[in-house]
Amino acid sequence: MGKGFCALFKKDCRMLASGKFFLMAIGFLALYTAYVNLGYIRFMQMAPYNVYLYDPAETQASKSALVQAVPSIEAMDTALLADANGVGLDASAGDVRVVLYPGAEHIDQHRADYALSLLQPSVSLSPEVLGTNTPEQKARKEITCELLFFELAAVGFLGIAAVLFKEKGMGVIRVHAILPLRKDLFLLSKLAVFLLSDLGFAVLLTLLNTGLADGTAVLPAVLFQTAILSLMMALVGLLCALLLKDFRQFTLAYLVIAIFAATPVFLSANTSVKFDWINWHPFYHVYMGLKNAYFGTAISPVYYAGAVGTIMLLFLAVRLAFHREIGKEG
Amino acid sequence: MRGLKYQMKSVLRDKFCLMTFLLPILVAVALHFMGSIDMSSLGELHFGVLENDLSPQTVTWLERYGPVTAYGTQEELTAAINEPSTNVIGVGADSDSLKTAISGDELDIFRQAAATLPSLYEQREAAGQAEIQTLERPDIMESLQGIFIPAVLIVAMFMGCTFNAMNIISEKEDGVAFVNEILPQTPSQYILQKVVVGFLFGSLSSVVTACICFRLSLQNFGLMLALIVLSSFVAALIGLFIGKFSEGLMIGVVYIKIVMLLFLAVPLVCALIGVSGPLAAVCNIIPSQPAFEGIMALSAGSMGTAMKDTGILAIHCIVWFALYVLISTRRKKQAV
Repeated sequence: MGKGFCALFKKDCRMLASGKFFLMAIGFLALYTAYVNLGYIRFMQMAPYNVYLYDPAETQASKSALVQAVPSIEAMDTALLADANGVGLDASAGDVRVVLYPGAEHIDQHRADYALSLLQPSVSLSPEVLGTNTPEQKARKEITCELLFFELAAVGFLGIAAVLFKEKGMGVIRVHAILPLRKDLFLLSKLAVFLLSDLGFAVLLTLLNTGLADGTAVLPAVLFQTAILSLMMALVGLLCALLLKDFRQFTLAYLVIAIFAATPVFLSANTSVKFDWINWHPFYHVYMGLKNAYFGTAISPVYYAGAVGTIMLLFLAVRLAFHREIGKEG
Repeated sequence: MRGLKYQMKSVLRDKFCLMTFLLPILVAVALHFMGSIDMSSLGELHFGVLENDLSPQTVTWLERYGPVTAYGTQEELTAAINEPSTNVIGVGADSDSLKTAISGDELDIFRQAAATLPSLYEQREAAGQAEIQTLERPDIMESLQGIFIPAVLIVAMFMGCTFNAMNIISEKEDGVAFVNEILPQTPSQYILQKVVVGFLFGSLSSVVTACICFRLSLQNFGLMLALIVLSSFVAALIGLFIGKFSEGLMIGVVYIKIVMLLFLAVPLVCALIGVSGPLAAVCNIIPSQPAFEGIMALSAGSMGTAMKDTGILAIHCIVWFALYVLISTRRKKQAV
């Protein structure tokens, strides 16, 4: 049994290597790392609102250092046009008048009051800090988590299916029907190969993008969640390969998964847009598992029970489909 | 003409192809009806308080700035503040003032809001009296949706490329490609046949998408049609290139993904960052850039830019077509 498994495992590895699966994974790893380190971290910055003051008579003596003085009302208009989130204060007519471009109602209210408060002397108390992450750490963890999920659920999944369809096309699945091996070994060796390559990818992606210290701290939990996701996606890929006729049919299924399954999950999990129905979305829970692992939040045992149950069910379904496929031969 | 009939027959039999063309239309319909998703809460301030900690007046005051959620215990409040996907600011009573708590991973804008909240509270009487003058400008959300819709249109135009590439690759895998080489037809006949199928369906799906998303005047519609037809043609040609250069289905899929990414990323980044000068001219090498710019210009009502972009697309059509004919005749000569 052990020998048979080793032979199958080696064959699968060779097949992945010849299908440029590993090369593609490394390419995507490089792309993601470049994106995080060169692009994302720089984009994710949002400075406080700028406040511009036009005060020809110098009536506002106690203004804060955050207020920028402008020489004329035209200069204020130009400044606001370029920086639409900024707030202008016009003190030329005695009473201070607030000038701003409207956005959402609540925010406008806050912008106006914030700008006025900068004219009064006050001690700015720094707020109590409850968390442990800095903004950069948070951004890095968040984007790494998204990319890992995207890679496992979309890109890796595509690779898995491509390889399996190739095997199916070559008739390898049917050859297994007459091999003197336990039938489950075929499935297990596939799962093992994809699991190991996904785990390797997760380790590299996490360490390269969240930093060595942060990365190693969260790695065990992340790897555990990666294993769950990887097993699920590999099983779904196997199921697709066994049930669908050819790779082109699969690409359509894949598009539907990529667009309609992933978008609401990303929206709900990363922003304050919350959908009521999102709890019924299976990918949401898996994604949250991964995210909680990155941020070190506790994960409820119900989720683990559900994940194990799903994997078992998927495995049984794949086994059934596999035996049916083999049976066609006999 | 007969060859074209056979091409159409093979397409209509392939349900998958038909569905790829339907996909952008579906997304357009979804976008049209899902415009109701409220994205404006994204930049809003959210406050978390402990139940019975603040007076009702203070909570009402806080609600002027953003939604307030009350939590039963300190642990729940801390968890909500630390939750990475939101920017909840914890607010508590501190004798007759307020104290705030944040998680520390927020963007500067939220951190500053938390730091200044106590002083805003102290000056709440004075703040209500100031006069606020709002200036007029186009809605930000509308411009965001204005970017979404051309992006969907570009995907629709791009479908011709996907279709042609897939079609040629699967012909290669089935061995039909070899049969095609000995058929009594010239390379340009073959190219035209192949291009026409992807082109027809690509432009058809783009026209339907455009009709769902835009309400255009007759004159603008003519220009939009020209833009769609030209860019669908270029996309179909690029599909032929992908089909020619990829050996297997898997590699073809990777090429398609890369081209699609490039097609979408270049115009989106250009539009969001606002590239101008020589760099913008260089971006026109990617055919989706003039298409995107033209659609944006049309929806903004500037005809001149749209005309210019139509011209650039026409040049694209000629250059890509000539390049492809050149490559394929040279290959054929080598083969003979």
